[in-house]
Amino acid sequence: MEVAYYPGCTLKTNAKVFEESLINAFNKIGIKLKELNKWYCCGTVYSLATDNLMYRLAAIRNLIKTKEEGFSKLIVPCSICYNTLKQANLMAKEDEEAMAKINAFMDEEPDYDGSVEVLHPLQILAMKLDEIKRMVKKPLNKNYACYYGCLLLRPKEVAIDEYEMPTIMEKLVEALGGSAVNFPLKNECCGSYNVVSNKEAVVDRVYRIITNARKNNADAIITSCPLCHFNLKEMQKEVKKLHPDFVEMPVYYFSELMEKAFKEG
Amino acid sequence: MAKKKPEMKMVRIYIMGKEYKVPAGLTIMKAMEYAGYRYIRGAGCRAGFCGACATVYRKEGDYKLYADLACQTTVEDGMWLVQLPFTPANKATYDLNKIKPDDKALVNFYPELARCVSCNTCTKACPQELDVMDYIQASLRGDIAKAAELSFDCIQCGLCAMRCPAEIAHYHVAQLARRLYGKYIAPKAKHLEERVKEIEEGKYDEEMRKMMKKSIEELREMYNSRDIEPEEEEEAKEAD
Amino acid sequence: MYPKEFEKSIRKVEETRDERLKKLPERMKEKEKEALLKKWHPDYKPEAKRKLKVGVSKGEIVPNEVADIIEAYPLIEPKEIDLSQVDYEADVLIIGGGGAGTAAALFAYYNGIKPENIIIATKLRHGDSNTIMAQGGIQAADKPNDSPLIHYLDVIGGGHFANKPELVARLVLDAPLIIKWHEELGVMYDKKPDGEMITIHGGGTSRKRMHSAKDYTGMEIMRVLRDEARNIGIKVLEFSPAIELLTDGNRVTGALLYNLETDQYYVVRAKAVVLATGGFGRLHIQGFPTTNHYGATADGLVIAYRLGAKLRDMDSVQYHPTGVAYPEQIVGLLVTEKVRGLGAQPVNVDGEQFVHPLEPRDVEAAAIIRECYGRNKGVVTPTGMRGVWLDSPMIEIIHGKGTIERRLGAMFRMFKRFGIDMREEPILVFPTLHYQNGGIEINENAQVLGINGPIEALFAAGEVEGGVHGKNRLMGNSLLDTQVFGRIAGINAAKYAKKAKFGKLSLEHVEKYIEELKKAKIKKERKAPILLPDYRGKQVLSRAIDIL
Repeated sequence: MEVAYYPGCTLKTNAKVFEESLINAFNKIGIKLKELNKWYCCGTVYSLATDNLMYRLAAIRNLIKTKEEGFSKLIVPCSICYNTLKQANLMAKEDEEAMAKINAFMDEEPDYDGSVEVLHPLQILAMKLDEIKRMVKKPLNKNYACYYGCLLLRPKEVAIDEYEMPTIMEKLVEALGGSAVNFPLKNECCGSYNVVSNKEAVVDRVYRIITNARKNNADAIITSCPLCHFNLKEMQKEVKKLHPDFVEMPVYYFSELMEKAFKEG
Repeated sequence: MAKKKPEMKMVRIYIMGKEYKVPAGLTIMKAMEYAGYRYIRGAGCRAGFCGACATVYRKEGDYKLYADLACQTTVEDGMWLVQLPFTPANKATYDLNKIKPDDKALVNFYPELARCVSCNTCTKACPQELDVMDYIQASLRGDIAKAAELSFDCIQCGLCAMRCPAEIAHYHVAQLARRLYGKYIAPKAKHLEERVKEIEEGKYDEEMRKMMKKSIEELREMYNSRDIEPEEEEEAKEAD
Repeated sequence: MYPKEFEKSIRKVEETRDERLKKLPERMKEKEKEALLKKWHPDYKPEAKRKLKVGVSKGEIVPNEVADIIEAYPLIEPKEIDLSQVDYEADVLIIGGGGAGTAAALFAYYNGIKPENIIIATKLRHGDSNTIMAQGGIQAADKPNDSPLIHYLDVIGGGHFANKPELVARLVLDAPLIIKWHEELGVMYDKKPDGEMITIHGGGTSRKRMHSAKDYTGMEIMRVLRDEARNIGIKVLEFSPAIELLTDGNRVTGALLYNLETDQYYVVRAKAVVLATGGFGRLHIQGFPTTNHYGATADGLVIAYRLGAKLRDMDSVQYHPTGVAYPEQIVGLLVTEKVRGLGAQPVNVDGEQFVHPLEPRDVEAAAIIRECYGRNKGVVTPTGMRGVWLDSPMIEIIHGKGTIERRLGAMFRMFKRFGIDMREEPILVFPTLHYQNGGIEINENAQVLGINGPIEALFAAGEVEGGVHGKNRLMGNSLLDTQVFGRIAGINAAKYAKKAKFGKLSLEHVEKYIEELKKAKIKKERKAPILLPDYRGKQVLSRAIDIL
């Protein structure tokens, strides 16, 4: 089975390990992730935060390309890209006036009508739990804190699961033979881009999130967002400076766990 | 009876708003000269390679803005045109030897790359019909090879940079991408290295001294009896 | 789209294609070549040239259009120029911003001159030159089956043995070093996946040693060199051509520049001066259209000759065999030799071969002229222009579909703009004025030679100098010339400048020249350098008055 796949800029640069492990893991369960021939930076959340329609062009262009290449579904692993493309797609379906403007401006492209389905890999995996269980060679046997961050769950129109008490990542962990801890800060914002301009706020968040995970017996924390991953992982040494008794915790992409569990020997 | 000279077909063009009648079939460049303009700025190679004659124009009754090279575009009746002989665009300064050609290199020198909104205006402005937005996007995500490949035919006319709402200077980014590709990513030619070494070690010096002293008759003899390398099939395998 | 009248001939070209793919005409023997050139090459028309009446190369035969600008008065009245106020100062002043000038600047820098002490003065923009338009390639003997000695033979034979041996030796020995330097700078030469340079034949070569970057070779080299010069911070004065050199009576001490946009002159004091002013295509020798850029008006030739620089081989003009002959909008523009290098054959109106595609340029050009005007087997266009076909679709057949787009992108694009698809249809060509084979004479140190030996502090590189190519330049050796001698000029100018002091500035050599002109009764109206050609409509010119 082949599905259209949108990597986004970060999976090609800072988060290469996310892309590699995701492609490998999906291969093992019989799904080929076919990267779009032509794709463009989605414009990230900045595009959603402005009134200017121009910033939505990038996202819409990607959806048009998906259709042009003959696909009706688009898998988007990066939480930020997922949220951006999904919201743009919603606008395409619901805001006729905005889409009329965008289609008129993009006069060299076919008009877009919102007909592509934007999906997160976790949504696909949720339907393949049996295949996943079958492919497990080395059960994970550890405790994992499933960290969602913001963008997989908010706003609710784009959420991949129940936004107060999601369980989609936990079910994956269990299918892989691991144990998912219940940790209340699973959908607490990591601080996002504040790591650039207001690092202390992020350091504080990371401290609380990881401490909370550890309190609930987690051995490691998993995520789907390269920015969350960066904050959670790289800011731990800053946390250590402020809280000497802080114990560090490894951070993984959920696909890395899949790769680990599927590996022979 | 004397034969009447065929009437030359004329067209109307508007050079910066002023109407001139010029012979149909001229390029914009020759039409402006016909009208009496003598170029100081705005003419270079006159053949489509140097980007000096970037011209922006509209056609009567058409809201679209077109951009092309004056030396390679034929005038049309009702053309409203102006030239863009210079584009201000900051070029980053760098020592190529000190750059690590990783996926951050281009964004480090041109952070405004991240402002690209994918509007595709640059692509529409390019007189060489390059996939400009595509190479900017490739540059944004650090795909130096792709940026080098897609931007190769760029003549640095500046039209893309002038039209870009994000104020990126596309052709400067592309120049860096291409140099990084040529220096670090394309594999080095081993035979070239070997030949350079031989020359520096003086391998050909003695023979060359003899050559320089040969008489014209001797040289003529050698020249006429040269063996010529045959034209074999070039295997179409190229590092594109 | 071709006019209906061409269709019959194009049909014939298509019909003979399969046969022609199988064999080529024989290359001509020397005697045959000589007879052909004598009868049909434009250079061999005695009425097109004359002997110079003034200067150190008095009696030398040059084309009329060149004589017209050499036997000409300066643009300025020497007494009206205030040389006491110096506007710019440089250790090394380079006149000309093309491939040779920029290479010279870079090597002056590499050899110890600070960027702020180097000035490139250029008539148009930095990079506007013939270099940037060069398409097909640059020669260098860097393959195992080749050697600089074989390259030497090709150069000197192609030049009719009139080349200066020491200059040819430098050209071919330095060639691989230049390519290596370019590789280090990041020039994207066409390479195979393992890094091996892709090289092909050019006219007159016995080995495939033409390196190229698609068919934008000159542009690729020029923009990399220009980028490097900008990174280093070398000062460039654009739109500021040199209208005279300055001397202290013994050596060159600077130049007088003219700002084309503000009309003011600049006095530049320099310890060493490098002339890299390029060619003379815009003089339209014998009324031919040209492949050259807008500023190719032989300025360097004029101002150096006034100073006593010797000329050499100026009787030999290179006509590129294949300039565009249709459509009219681009007549005269270059169709790179690489088109023939990749297999396209010249074919006459009846679809017949008539010359080997890769004879040296003068032979090839003469053969095409003979075919059109001697044998009347050319195609005649609606404007009366004649030409022969260059069967470009053969390239796709020989090398595979997509070859033209990949390796001749510039040519493909140029013809596509005017509705002709060279992958499917042959293109029409005729010789066009292309290159100044000779020029101001230099020695192997790139020093300009006067009658008493090197003129102190004056160097030259590129098309402006002569002696490298003899009577006929081979394809790919001009880009090489700019780089090899640009480098040598830069190195030696730097070496000289490090030990030199600034000198007195005067235009006395110009005053002396004016006297000679008067004695030879040269008309006062003739002024040079002409700086830019004038293509304004005749109607406009007849009513134009210079008021402002």
